[in-house]
Amino acid sequence: MMNSKSLRTLIGYTIFSAAVLLLPLLIDDAYTLNKFSRYLILGLATLGLSLAWGYTGILNLGHAAFFGLGAYCMAMYLKLQTVPVHTGTGGLPDFMVWNNVEQLPWFWEPFHWSYLAITAGIGIPVLLAVMLGWFVFRARIAGVFVAIITLAMLVIINLLLIDQQRYTGGFNGITDLAWLTIGGIEFDPYSKTFYYLSAGSLVVCLLGTGIFTHTKAGLILQAIRNDPDRVRFLGYDVSAYQILAFALSAGIAGLAGMLYAMVLEFASPTFVGVSLSLSMVIWCAVGGRGSLLAATLGAILVNAAQGSLSENFLETWQLILGGFFVLIVLFLPKGLISIGELIRWRRKRTDRVQVQVLSSTKRARGIS
Amino acid sequence: MEVFISQIFTGLSIASILLLVALGLAIIYGSMGVINLAHGEFVMLGAYATWFLQQYAGIGLIPSLVLVFLMVGSIGWVIERGIVRHLYHRPLDTILATWGIGIMLQQLVRLTAGAELRYVELPESLSRSVDLLGINFSVYRLFILLVTGLLILLTWLLLMRTEYGTKLRAITQNREMAECSGIDSQRIFGLTFAFGAGLAGVAGSLVAPIKSVSPDMGTHYVVDAFMVVVLGGVGSVAGTAAASGILGEVTAGMAYLLNDTLAKVIVFIAVVMLIRFRPQGLFSQLVRK
Amino acid sequence: MAINRRSFLKGAAGAAAAVGFPHIWVKDLGQAYASGGEIKVGVLYSLTGTTAVVEKSLHNATLMAIEEINAQGGINGMKITPIVEDPASDPATFSDKARKLVMGDRCVSVFGSYTSASRKAVLPVFEKRRNLYWYPTLYEGRECSKNVIYTGATPNQQQKDFIPWLTENFGKRFFLVGSNYIYPKEENNVCKILLEQLGGEVVGEEYVPLGHSEFSSVLNKIRDTKPDVIFSTVVGDSVIALHRQYKSAGFDPEKMPMASLTTSEVEIAAMGGEYGAGHFTSAPYFMVHESPENEKFVESYKRLYGADSVTHFVSEPAYFQVHLFKQAVAKLAASDISPENIRDAVQGEELMAPQGLVGIDGENLHTNLWPKIAVCQSNGQFKVIKQSAERVRPLPYWAYQGQSCTASGLKGA
Repeated sequence: MMNSKSLRTLIGYTIFSAAVLLLPLLIDDAYTLNKFSRYLILGLATLGLSLAWGYTGILNLGHAAFFGLGAYCMAMYLKLQTVPVHTGTGGLPDFMVWNNVEQLPWFWEPFHWSYLAITAGIGIPVLLAVMLGWFVFRARIAGVFVAIITLAMLVIINLLLIDQQRYTGGFNGITDLAWLTIGGIEFDPYSKTFYYLSAGSLVVCLLGTGIFTHTKAGLILQAIRNDPDRVRFLGYDVSAYQILAFALSAGIAGLAGMLYAMVLEFASPTFVGVSLSLSMVIWCAVGGRGSLLAATLGAILVNAAQGSLSENFLETWQLILGGFFVLIVLFLPKGLISIGELIRWRRKRTDRVQVQVLSSTKRARGIS
Repeated sequence: MEVFISQIFTGLSIASILLLVALGLAIIYGSMGVINLAHGEFVMLGAYATWFLQQYAGIGLIPSLVLVFLMVGSIGWVIERGIVRHLYHRPLDTILATWGIGIMLQQLVRLTAGAELRYVELPESLSRSVDLLGINFSVYRLFILLVTGLLILLTWLLLMRTEYGTKLRAITQNREMAECSGIDSQRIFGLTFAFGAGLAGVAGSLVAPIKSVSPDMGTHYVVDAFMVVVLGGVGSVAGTAAASGILGEVTAGMAYLLNDTLAKVIVFIAVVMLIRFRPQGLFSQLVRK
Repeated sequence: MAINRRSFLKGAAGAAAAVGFPHIWVKDLGQAYASGGEIKVGVLYSLTGTTAVVEKSLHNATLMAIEEINAQGGINGMKITPIVEDPASDPATFSDKARKLVMGDRCVSVFGSYTSASRKAVLPVFEKRRNLYWYPTLYEGRECSKNVIYTGATPNQQQKDFIPWLTENFGKRFFLVGSNYIYPKEENNVCKILLEQLGGEVVGEEYVPLGHSEFSSVLNKIRDTKPDVIFSTVVGDSVIALHRQYKSAGFDPEKMPMASLTTSEVEIAAMGGEYGAGHFTSAPYFMVHESPENEKFVESYKRLYGADSVTHFVSEPAYFQVHLFKQAVAKLAASDISPENIRDAVQGEELMAPQGLVGIDGENLHTNLWPKIAVCQSNGQFKVIKQSAERVRPLPYWAYQGQSCTASGLKGA
């Protein structure tokens, strides 16, 4: 069942994984490595989004909510690791002392243990996704309404995190974190150890989701994206598959969020912000929403470009970036990955005209 | 009792601003299916246009409303012709493209008008407050209510009583059929987008005197306005008006009883519930898809 | 050159060792910071995003000070080279850019930040990389980092004279309104302690989301409780909305003024003088302050950035802290220039700033300042009505008995 497309995908995955894992051999300064770790982590989050959006057609504008919850779980654990160094009294995180909290709230207690914290960092986003998915997809809500509901969820979580300052650190977030130490290995965010942790997570998730999309379940997801009603007519439980994809996507986002809190050494409500969330959608679209690898690359590329653009074009970089997005959406709806396809299309111009005619007749018949 | 009445008024006042912003959005979304994330930036452009007219041409707030409508409307028209019209067959992609446009507009304004906060002068007659039945009302907020009411009326007349409105409704209901009977849907869409943008511009000039004018002011409005549109139901002017009324009153009431943050949370949860159980909105028009 | 097997193996082993051991990461710490006749510093203020409005002016003041120093021949013959980054009002970007400045560009100090959130975001970078951050904003205190020089006011410097003065002149019933984050809550903690000592009363306490611009409900609560003073720690563009809606709600500053720690010339310029008139602010610096240093500061600033631009109580520290940096670096030999040596050199250092003679505290790295109380006038400028008779020491842990920030770190925690 290995056709040429699958072969190309396989080659792409292999090259990418090798490049990511071998990068530290070429780079030997802590700053650059740290920067790349950050890009890979954002790539991982976008990979999750592409599974829900590109593969299953769930346009999730609230992806950062899952990402941010993961980040907060990790930050809570790492914060408690700094206790009592950064506290006032009673073994409490500093911001709680400032907010006159006298006892560690019960939901902070499990975050004394690294395994519980890590489980929560993936489990809570997954749980939220299952609940929200059940709530939304069971009612056959689709398209724009899913986008609006996920956006509303994001804003709600963001507002609550800022408002419940006593327990969450409010607008400043959770700062002054320790470095994660597991089994005697310390994950200093500037080290190769940490780089391999991020790169390894990314490669494992990429390969895992890549294989998943080639299973029967993965194919059904794509069928749902193309036409949920037909899949339903064929007797599949569409909402169950949607919930599955949504939950997987949320879990990956949670993992990315945990790594993000570690690399930046804080968690902030901006991680659950509308602007980060929309940015992730944009990265995904730039790379190519229809391909997991392309979406991941999109995130890495845009972030790297953003980093170097803003150094050289202080005043105009947002202008350039905005224009770039608009151009991509207009001319490369399948993302940068489709540049090759575009060139092939140009060569087979006649085919393209036929496709257009076909699609417009379809539209006229109200099928699309 | 006094508190109660002034809270009701506060709710109405919040609602009128919401409605001003959401009206243009509702028309664009309702008729064209375009999710315009740059709508907040149209509001911002309106505020800046008002500031500009006042600062450099000495034109006061009230006379500038018409000019601002035309200015922002034509910017909207250019954006529709240049970018948005290529995306009608991919409605979800309009979210991405208009977000990019929004970023660009913000930065363009920041580069040309400066990053400083600007302000718009209020005419003396509007900057006072009046006592009615022993309760204090801000004259300017009453003025906003009045203008909002007028705009709703105008919009309704435009959609229901003009040739343009008939054509737009025809396209909304069935684009192919409308085109077959000789309606130039491209032209109508261009005008509609311009009209929606112009309304946002007017909203911008009306909020400018009581809020601040900055390049990123629009981002605060767009999410709230979307909730209004979805709550009100697609393509219904009356629904949009009712939805802003409900959201305004609930926000004001909750803000008084609890605080402004929790008020917002409660409103958003309510909107999510509503979409779940009534995705067509509270007041939806019958639209053939 | 032929490669034989032995030399290849040796090379490979060397490469493996270089990759495997962490010492490689710190190898460049020994390198001198000042080389080639230039001293690199980072300038990290948002030029885009929500806080760009204020941060742009801090950015301008910082660059102006650097130009002044370079025009006078630099520091011991070395030029200051500013490396400018735009953190876009986003904490994550702040952290990222701070890393770039500290580790990528090897700046010896970074001047930056307006919000506490952004300072908190960059703090780990400066503490773990042992660099020095210069923070010009008034803030909530309760921080005792050895890698930050704080040149803005702490709560005790802004409030100690202000609250008693307010209770004497207007009354003891306060309504506290602030933006919803740590700074207003902390200032209000301090305010409540002071009010209690004076026998005052808090009749209401409200927090609005950052960027909030709809104050009707808050104003209704104020109308209900009829306080003597509205104590405001609302920040950013919300300040403008609050003042404008206060006036259109028909309130009168003569009877119930707003007393603010955060309303400066920037916000007044954005709301229009008639909306600010009659309200009070307490801060160490106002644009109208009369001193030769301030005349020069305001004049150069206006010449560079336009006749209608304003200076304010955050841009002034952003300006003078660069001159303090210069004084500290000038005391060091070129080979000794390092973040930690600069920090040691700046302790106890004094400077004639626009606001008066300021000095870095030897213990807590905050700044000794000259608090003033001023009333806003309809022309958009303040009128100073009371100036502290003596310079006030910064006490970042003032409200917490038994805790103090000392040279060796936080005591009594």
